[in-house]
Amino acid sequence: MNPLLLCLLAPAAATVAIFFVDAKEKKVIRSLATVATGVSLAMALVMFIGFGDFQYDNAATAAQFTAHAGEASEHVYKYGIATDWVEELGMSFRLGVDGMGLAMVLLTSLIMFAGVMVSYTIENRVKEYYLCLLALGTGVFGVFSSLDMFFYYFFYELAVIPMYLLIGIWGSTTKTVDQHYASMKLVLLLSAGAVVALVGLMAVYAQAGTFDMVKLEQFDFASSFQMVWFPVIFLGFAALVPMWPLHSWSPAGHASAPAAVSMLHAGVLMKLGAFGILRIACTYFPAAAAVYLPYVGILCCFNIVYGGFVAMSQRDMKLMIGYSSSSHMGYVLLGVASASLIGMEGAVFLMFAHGIMTALTFALIGWFYDQTHTRSLDDLGGMMKVMPFAGTMFVIACMASAGLPGFANFASELMVIIGAWDTREILWYGIPAIFAVWGLVITGVYLLRAVKDAWLGELPDRWKKLRDQRTFPERAPYVLLTVVLLVFGFWPQSMLDVVHQGVEPLVVRIQEGREKNERDAREVRVVPASGHETTSEEAR
Amino acid sequence: MSFPILLQTFLAMKLPEGLTPNLHLLLPEFIVAGTAIAAILPELLLPAGRRARLTAWTSVAGLLVAFVVILAMGPSSKSALHVVDGDLTVTGWRADAFSVFCRALVTGGGALLVLLSMPFTRRMDRGHGEFHALLLFALLGVMLVSGVSDLLSLFVCLELVTIMAYVLASFRRNDVRSTEAGLKYLVIGAVSTAVLLLGIGLVYGAVGSLSFQALARVMTVGQPPAILVMGLAFILIGLLFKIGGVPFHVWIPDVYEGAPTPVTAFLITASKFAGVVLLLRFAQAVFVPTLQAADPFDWVVVLGVLSVVTLLFGVLGAIPQRSIKRLLAYSSIGHAGYIIMGIAAIAAAGSSGSGRATSAILYYMMAYFATSITAFAVIITVSAATKSDDHTAYTGLARRSPFLALAMLLALLSLAGVPPLAGFFGKFLILAAVVDKGLFTLAFIGVGAVIISLYFYMLWIKEIFVKAPADGVVGPRIPVPGVTRCVLWIGMLAMLAMGIVMGPFYSWVHDAAQSMGTYLGS
Repeated sequence: MNPLLLCLLAPAAATVAIFFVDAKEKKVIRSLATVATGVSLAMALVMFIGFGDFQYDNAATAAQFTAHAGEASEHVYKYGIATDWVEELGMSFRLGVDGMGLAMVLLTSLIMFAGVMVSYTIENRVKEYYLCLLALGTGVFGVFSSLDMFFYYFFYELAVIPMYLLIGIWGSTTKTVDQHYASMKLVLLLSAGAVVALVGLMAVYAQAGTFDMVKLEQFDFASSFQMVWFPVIFLGFAALVPMWPLHSWSPAGHASAPAAVSMLHAGVLMKLGAFGILRIACTYFPAAAAVYLPYVGILCCFNIVYGGFVAMSQRDMKLMIGYSSSSHMGYVLLGVASASLIGMEGAVFLMFAHGIMTALTFALIGWFYDQTHTRSLDDLGGMMKVMPFAGTMFVIACMASAGLPGFANFASELMVIIGAWDTREILWYGIPAIFAVWGLVITGVYLLRAVKDAWLGELPDRWKKLRDQRTFPERAPYVLLTVVLLVFGFWPQSMLDVVHQGVEPLVVRIQEGREKNERDAREVRVVPASGHETTSEEAR
Repeated sequence: MSFPILLQTFLAMKLPEGLTPNLHLLLPEFIVAGTAIAAILPELLLPAGRRARLTAWTSVAGLLVAFVVILAMGPSSKSALHVVDGDLTVTGWRADAFSVFCRALVTGGGALLVLLSMPFTRRMDRGHGEFHALLLFALLGVMLVSGVSDLLSLFVCLELVTIMAYVLASFRRNDVRSTEAGLKYLVIGAVSTAVLLLGIGLVYGAVGSLSFQALARVMTVGQPPAILVMGLAFILIGLLFKIGGVPFHVWIPDVYEGAPTPVTAFLITASKFAGVVLLLRFAQAVFVPTLQAADPFDWVVVLGVLSVVTLLFGVLGAIPQRSIKRLLAYSSIGHAGYIIMGIAAIAAAGSSGSGRATSAILYYMMAYFATSITAFAVIITVSAATKSDDHTAYTGLARRSPFLALAMLLALLSLAGVPPLAGFFGKFLILAAVVDKGLFTLAFIGVGAVIISLYFYMLWIKEIFVKAPADGVVGPRIPVPGVTRCVLWIGMLAMLAMGIVMGPFYSWVHDAAQSMGTYLGS
C-alpha cells in the first residue's frame, strides 16, 4: 500500500474506530490513537529514508506527477496516487509529496505521535478528545500531501474546526486570556484567512479549468492575472502564518489550548500558511512573487522584532512562547521572501525545526501546568529541584530556540540569514537580515529569563510535591523530540537533501519570473515607439 | 398544459385537439395523491387511539413507493399533457432528468419528514388524518412544480403548496403563536400571490403566450419591451417571497418560529425547494437565452444586490437569536442569499452555459434538505423532552444525549459549510460558479458571510458541547425514539456522503441541470 495514503488514512481510520468504542474504555481509545499515529510516523520515516531512491513503476504514472519547472529541471512529486473524484469538474483525489511536503509530513507525524502520548494525562471526556485530535491530524496530513487544490482546501478546513472544540472544552482560562474568546477568535481568523485564499483558488480554477496541482504548476498564468491574485492568496495564507499584523489570534490561541493542541497548533498549523504560500502562491505566480516578495521581507522584520519584544514583556509562559512563535515565523517568511535557494531551503528547514522545538516547549509547559494550574513566571520558581528531567528538557528547548549550534534551529536560522544577506539587496533583505540576527538576541533574553524565573532559584513550599516524568511512556515523547532536534542539528544535510528536491524548482521558477518581468518591462518601453512609427507611416 | 384541459379530458372522455396526455408520466403524483386520500380514511374508520400510527406509516409507505417509481421510471423525453398550439408553442409537464431529480428528492425527503414528525404527531389528540393529508398534498404540489413549463401551471402548482402550508402553519389552532404564524403567512403570502399573478398577466400581455418556450423565444430575439421586463420583475418578486429573499423575507422568522416544528421543517425544506425549483425553471427561460447586450435591464446587478442584502440580513440577524427555530429561520434567509447568488451567476452566464451554476444550486438544495431534516429531527426530540426550543434547552446537550449532540454538531457545521459535510460542497460549488463568471465582489461577500455564520453556529456548538447548565445540574438523559434515531442516521450518513463522495451526487445534479434547457430549443 502507498505509504503516503497509509499515513493519511491511519488517523482517519482511528477516528472512525474510536467513534464506535465505548467512552469508558479509556485505555483502548488511547492505544488506538497511539497505534494510528505510530503507523503514520513509521510511514513518514519510511518515505523520508527512501525518498532519494524512489522511482515510479511505470512512465505514465511518473508523467502524471512530474511538472517541468523551467528549462531542463523537473519537479517530481513522489509516492503519488490518484483517483478521479468528480469528473465533471476535473476534481480528483490526488496525493503526492515533494521534498518540501515530505518534511512537513514528517514533522506532523512526529508531533502527532508525541502529542497523543503527552495527552495521556487527560482524563475528562477522553473519547471526544481523541476524536477531535485525530480529525485535526487527518486534516493536517491531508493538506501537506494533497495534490488537488480542492482537497487541499478541504483538508485545511477540516483541521480548523476541531481546534474550536479542543480549546473550548479542554483548554484553560487565565486572567489574561479567556479560552472561549481565544478559541472563537482563532477559528474565525483562521477561517477568514482560508476563505480569502479560497476565492483566489477558485479564480485560479476558473482560469485554468483544473484542480490538479501538477497541471496548474505547468499552466502559464498571465502577468496581469498573477499581479491581482498573488496578494489575495498570499494574504489569505499569511494570516495563518501568522504574519504581522494579522497575528493576534495566534498567541491567545496557544495560551488557552491544552498541551497537545498547542503543540500541533504552533508546530504544524502555523506551517500550513507558510506551506500554502510556497506551494500555491509562489509556485503558480512566480512573476508576481518576484515583485511582491521584497515587501514581505520588510513586514517580517515586524514579526521578528515586535513579536520578540512583546514576548519579552509576557509573564504567562504560554503567551511568551506564543509570541516567540510568531517571532520565529518571521524568520521563515524572511527565508521565503529572499527567494534564494539557501534562504528558502533554510525556511523550510526552520519550519521543521521550529515545529519540533516549540512542540517540546509546549508539552513541558503543559506537564507542569497540569499540576500547578499557573503558568505565570511570578508564581513559579526553582522547579528544577523537583522535576529535573522536565527542567533539563526545557533548558534544551530554550537553547534550541535561541539558536545554539548543535540544534536544527541553528542550522536553519543561519541559512535563512545567509540567504537573505546573499541576495545583495541591502535595503530589501540586508536590513531585515540584520534585524533577524538581533532577533536571536531578543529570543535569548526572554527565554533565559524564563528559565531563571521558573526553573532556578528558590522553590516555594507549595510546589514541593510536583511530580517529574518518571516512567518510560511519560518521558518518551520529550526524548523523541529532543533527539530529532539534535540529529538534524548535527546532520542537517539529511534533511536538506530532501528539502532541496522540492525547493529548487520553485527558486528556479521565481528567478525565471523575475527575468520575464524584466523582459516585459523592456518590451513595454519599446512598444510605444514602434506604435508611434506605424501611425506616422499611415499619416504619410 | 392546464388543469381545465385535464378536467375536460376526464369529463368528456375525449381529447381536445393537439393534446397528448401521456398520463403515465404522472404515475408517482397519482400515487402520492391517492396516499393523501387514503391517509384520511383511518380518521373516519378507526377509533382514536390507533389512528396516529397507521396514518403516518401509510404516508411514509406511499411516499417511498412514489420515490421508487420515480427512480425506476427515470427521465423521459416526452412530456405529460403535451399541447401543441397553433403557433407551434409547445407546453406540457416536463418529465426530464431535472424533474426526476427534484421529485425523488421531495418524495425521499418527504418520507423522512413524516418519520421525524412522528414523535410530534403521536402527541396530537386529533387531526392525524388532516395533518398527513395536507402534508402529502403540499408535497404533491412540490413534485408538480418541478415539471412546469408555463406560467399558469407555475402559479397553480405553487398555490397548491402554499395553501396547504397556510393551513399547516396554523395547525395547532389552540396555540396563539401557531395561529398568528398561519395568519401572517396567509396575509403576506396572499400579497405575494397577487404580485405574482400581476406579473404573469403582464408577461402574457407582452408575449401573447404563457409558455416558457414562447417567453424564451421573445427573450432571444432582441430588446424586450418595458412591460415584459416589469412583468418578469413581478414574477421574480413573487418567487423571492417563497424562498425568503430580502426585502420579501419579513414573514420568515415569525412563521418559522410559530408554526408547529414539523411544519417548520416542511417550510424550510420542501416549500422553499418549490420556490428554488421555479426560480431555476424561470431563470432557464428568461436569463439563459438572453443576449446580455440586448437587455437594457441589468438582471445580474439586481440579483447580485438582492443576494448580498439577503445574505447579510440572514447571517447578521441570526447572531442574537436565542431560539433554535428562529436561528434556523434567519439562517434560511442567509441560505436563500446563496441561492440568489447562484441565480445571479446563471444570469451572468446567459447563453454561454449556465449548467455549472444550476448544478451548484441543486447540490446546495440537496445538501440543505439532508441537513435541515437532521437538525429538525434533533429539535423535535429535544423539544419533546424539554418542552422548549430555547437555547437553555441545548446547554450541555452533549452530556444529556451524546448522539443528539453529535447529530446537531454535524447539522450546524454542514449549515455553516465546513468539510467533510454536504453543506461545504454546496457552498463551494455556488461560490466557484460565481467566481467563474467573474463576480468577484459577490464571491468575497459570500465568503465573508461564511465567517459570520461560522460565528453564530459556533455559539450554539459551544452551548451544546462546552457550557454547563447555569444551575450546574445536568438534566436527565433525553430519550431518542427508534424512528428518530433512524432518521438521524440517514441524515448524518447523507450529509457525510454528499460531503466526501461527491462524484455520484454531482453527476446526478449535473445531468439534471443539463436536461433543463433542452425543450426551450435554441
